[in-house]
Amino acid sequence: MTEEPYRWLEAMGNRREYVLNQVKGGSPVFAVSLEAGVLLLGVGSGQSKVFEIFDRHALAGLGHPADLERVRQMLIDAAHLEAFTRAPEDVTLRRLVSFNLSPQIKTVFEQLFAPPFLVRLLLSELGATRDRDSLIKVQFDGTYSLAARGLAVVAADPADEAAVEDWLTRHLPATTEPGLAIDTLLLAWRHLAHGDELPEGELPTAKPDLAGLEIEAALLRRSTMRVARFETIPAR
Amino acid sequence: MSPPPTIAGDFFALLAQHRISPPHVHASAAPVETQATTVFAFHFADGVFVAGDRRATAGNVIVTETVEKVIELDSTSLLAIAGVPATAFEMARALQTSFEYYRRSQLQALSLPAKVRALSRALRDNLGLTLQGVGVVAPLFVGLDNTALPARPQIYFYDPLGAQFEAADFSASGSGSTTVRSILAFQQRFGSPTPARMTLREATRFALQTLMVAAEFDSATGGVAPESARFATLKWLGQDGIRTLTVTEQAEALS
Repeated sequence: MTEEPYRWLEAMGNRREYVLNQVKGGSPVFAVSLEAGVLLLGVGSGQSKVFEIFDRHALAGLGHPADLERVRQMLIDAAHLEAFTRAPEDVTLRRLVSFNLSPQIKTVFEQLFAPPFLVRLLLSELGATRDRDSLIKVQFDGTYSLAARGLAVVAADPADEAAVEDWLTRHLPATTEPGLAIDTLLLAWRHLAHGDELPEGELPTAKPDLAGLEIEAALLRRSTMRVARFETIPAR
Repeated sequence: MSPPPTIAGDFFALLAQHRISPPHVHASAAPVETQATTVFAFHFADGVFVAGDRRATAGNVIVTETVEKVIELDSTSLLAIAGVPATAFEMARALQTSFEYYRRSQLQALSLPAKVRALSRALRDNLGLTLQGVGVVAPLFVGLDNTALPARPQIYFYDPLGAQFEAADFSASGSGSTTVRSILAFQQRFGSPTPARMTLREATRFALQTLMVAAEFDSATGGVAPESARFATLKWLGQDGIRTLTVTEQAEALS
């Protein structure tokens, strides 16, 4: 299969198609940089979508739970080793992604006879101010991109993400209180997961139907004396 | 991808896997030690109060008056260090990282008995320096027992070889501890209120006055001097976690 360039490209294409097909039913995740901190949200079955990685770092993702768990553990290991051997301030999202996570995911993706990571990821880093927050999307093949607008959406179908990000940019100002931001993100979640229309003008106040799933929301809080900034937000 | 650690959530196993270990100092001759301290902890009405002076000495030289000897290991654990700072601070740093590593990787906090034993193991691993007399550490540990309802803060003290003991009422360590133990024992037996019944303000005042007296008898203990804005490190652990008392709060308690 790998002896001819065309076959290799074809195999890669098949693999890409396979992964996208596998994550098709995944529940979308969101990260928004607010004045209060970085808010992450997923809708799942509890402790399955949004995770603390380090003092100022968090992960949200969709895909196979076992692969998400492998990625989570990989990031936690790398962050704590770096913090211990150097200093917690040296743990940065850019280095975690570009020197640890991305190369490992790419290597696994290109090993044709090994199972790829069935995940799409959203990583966040809390900065001292909002303009220093970082949100990075990481794909199953190791490619990654920095979210430039202070918010990022990872959905089962990447083609849906841009429109929802546009809508959120218009309806979610940075001064929004995290609890209210969750309500807006849930409208976007309903749109991506169940095809509901995205409302324009005044947003509805009724809580959307979550189909028996739980809201998993966490805030990397900017103004706190605690070293570990991650805190889960209970569903209202 | 690196294989998983042999014991899930064990940060020291992860360090060993990557051939990294907390630094060990091999001393052949005793250098001048930087040590001597007074730290103590006692139960009061709202939880456990922990106090430490801020002086570090090397022989008869005062090195600094701004050392933090009461260290937050995580949101429900405090370590009060007495002994050689180089070893004690490194021990605290390793424990801080390992407790947080466990909590994040296992999605639950380490239990209080496991934290108590982790410190015991760190002291045992330091046996070489302890026996050479250049790395002795005799800490106090304060943690929250979440298995009790309501959650109960507890005090543990250690010998330099790692033996651990729970203190029912109070404990003290460091060169000024003899004085502090006498004051605490007196207050426990004859005082009113007893330490366990003190309010936060009473406990703060009592802790600062105790440090003042300890500094009278031990030159290696930094005193408290409100007139020159020199105070202590005071923290307390309650059911909701750790709180640090600011310089302003300490000054108010003495006024």
